[in-house]
Amino acid sequence: MREIIYNSSSPLADLRAFGQTVGHDIRAVLRVGRQLFVRNLRVQYRQSVLGYLWLLAPPLFLALTWTLLSKANLLQGRQPTVPLPLFVLTGIFLWQGFVEMLNSPLQQLTAVRATLAKVRVPHEAFVVAAVGVVVFNLLVRLLVLGGVMWWYDVGWHVTLLWVPVGLAALLGLGLGLGWVIALFGLLYSDVANALTLLINMWFLITPVVYVVPSRYASVLSLNPVTPLLTTTRNWLLTGVAHPTPGFWPVVGLAGASVALGWLAYRLAQPHLIARF
Amino acid sequence: MWYALRDILAEAWPRYRARTARLRPHEFWGVQDISFELRRGEALAIVGANGAGKSTLLKLLNGLIKPDGGSIHIRGQVGALIELGVGLDPVLSGRENVFIRAALLGFSREQVLPLFAQIEEFAGLGSALDMPIQFYSSGMVARLAYAVAVHLRPDILLVDEVLAVGDMDFQRKCINHMLAYLASGGSVVLVSHNPYHVQAVCQQGVLLERGRLTFAGTGLETLDKYYDQQQQLLAARNAQAGGSVPLVIEELTFESLTTSTIVTDDTVQMHLTYRAQAPQANIGWAFYIWTNDGLTCVTGGVNLAPSHLAPGRHQLSCTVERLPLTAGQYLVKAAIFELQSQQPLALLGWEDAPVPLVVQGELTLEKSFQSMIQQLVTLPISWHN
Repeated sequence: MREIIYNSSSPLADLRAFGQTVGHDIRAVLRVGRQLFVRNLRVQYRQSVLGYLWLLAPPLFLALTWTLLSKANLLQGRQPTVPLPLFVLTGIFLWQGFVEMLNSPLQQLTAVRATLAKVRVPHEAFVVAAVGVVVFNLLVRLLVLGGVMWWYDVGWHVTLLWVPVGLAALLGLGLGLGWVIALFGLLYSDVANALTLLINMWFLITPVVYVVPSRYASVLSLNPVTPLLTTTRNWLLTGVAHPTPGFWPVVGLAGASVALGWLAYRLAQPHLIARF
Repeated sequence: MWYALRDILAEAWPRYRARTARLRPHEFWGVQDISFELRRGEALAIVGANGAGKSTLLKLLNGLIKPDGGSIHIRGQVGALIELGVGLDPVLSGRENVFIRAALLGFSREQVLPLFAQIEEFAGLGSALDMPIQFYSSGMVARLAYAVAVHLRPDILLVDEVLAVGDMDFQRKCINHMLAYLASGGSVVLVSHNPYHVQAVCQQGVLLERGRLTFAGTGLETLDKYYDQQQQLLAARNAQAGGSVPLVIEELTFESLTTSTIVTDDTVQMHLTYRAQAPQANIGWAFYIWTNDGLTCVTGGVNLAPSHLAPGRHQLSCTVERLPLTAGQYLVKAAIFELQSQQPLALLGWEDAPVPLVVQGELTLEKSFQSMIQQLVTLPISWHN
């Protein structure tokens, strides 16, 4: 029978034991996460009349609003090479995926705070379940996008094969930042309030509903979401294979942020529970 | 709150963590210098007042939080029943929640399916199992959560005062189940103030006070010690608040008029000591004798003749001509109330520790029969043959 020892030393003091615990937990995380994902899908819209329509309604209305604003010439700037409504809708669907991923660790872990304080369960399982729901929502929206692309008679490009890479990087960046936000958000309630404000501002400085103005291209490319979103949108709509500058470094950053964000949360876990 | 960030940063710096833990300003030890060993088939009761560190200790044993010093060695899988409602989704049915709850405890759907019939039978929810649990009573939630946790057969079961919400029948079922679980080699750590639960399940007990272990003994000894402490605290509080509380019951004592100890059919005098700030007229008073598990009121007496309370510290007394209780331990609660409105003015043993009453037995055949069938009272009978 395996002996478990709880003491004050850091898990990083014995890297081999830490690796074994993580390996053991991965199986539990996937098993529990899968069941929680199914549960989340079931309860997501259980007491709702419109149900899964709520997956599409907010981004569709947002896209419609921005399209009308652009058509009324209230937004100055370059016009995209594809139909404006399609351009805006694609941007909003991708942005929505990133934002949902960014928010999901804090939202999920806050919702199950009472459970985490009383039941020994890998916290990652709740985040894995949330990732599943975000991916599911994104796939549903991409199906709708496929219909809209067909409606506008946009050609199908080989670059569509690259789209999963762009989506993975976009969601990865959201998840990596989401872990860190969850860590701080569970300690300080200010984080959740500030996050809403930050996301609204971030939306405006990301070329979601407009084409990157060449004058501000260098500044906007400092925003890590810009190369991921514009490249993925190009792969979806225009067939331009060459990624926007900064794409690959940000992909690396996204991967590193997932690993480091998770590690930081993992180390913080007992201290967070002690303060729940 | 900055301590949290410093603690988290220290986790990334293993050498920093190795330093001896010490308190920082505004911190206190939740649990300190506690050491005990629990083997297979043994049950330990953890007893203590609110804030004594019981829940913190369970969290440490469950691996939810880390100790700042010392170590905990656990062999086997730990199952915890710390708060029954957590982890259950109110929108989902009881059936669906069985799998969710089991998943949180680390079990897959495939592992739960063969056990489902037993869980369903133990919970005894009938058709309510297919109802969303937001419509369940707290007792029904307790049944479901307990049934899931125990049927997954952890090696060590941590139980935190959760049985109190179930009805008597369910509590008995849980106790029997725990005894079978112990007999099959499981171990139980039980946080409870219910004498019946402690007596039935736990051979060992520890008393916690402000995070420290102050007493270790058998389950019942620990509970007695805890009740004693509560009585002393109450007396001290009453003495301290002497100037502000209008009426308090300070003490309830019993004495046999015929022997040195109280025995069955004895003539017993009962004295209730009260402290009143002002005279009170038109007062009634009562005492009730309960079984040691605190679940059944065996008998009692109410004095409905208007009494008068004098200011200061005085006694109300009565004589029980023939105490009909069989040998054993009982708990006594008392009340002083306003006769007209029947509103209680002072209580003892209802929201605090009741007063223990020990009735001694003699070794006779009749007493053996009484003990064997757990008879509580005797009747004055004239046999005609």
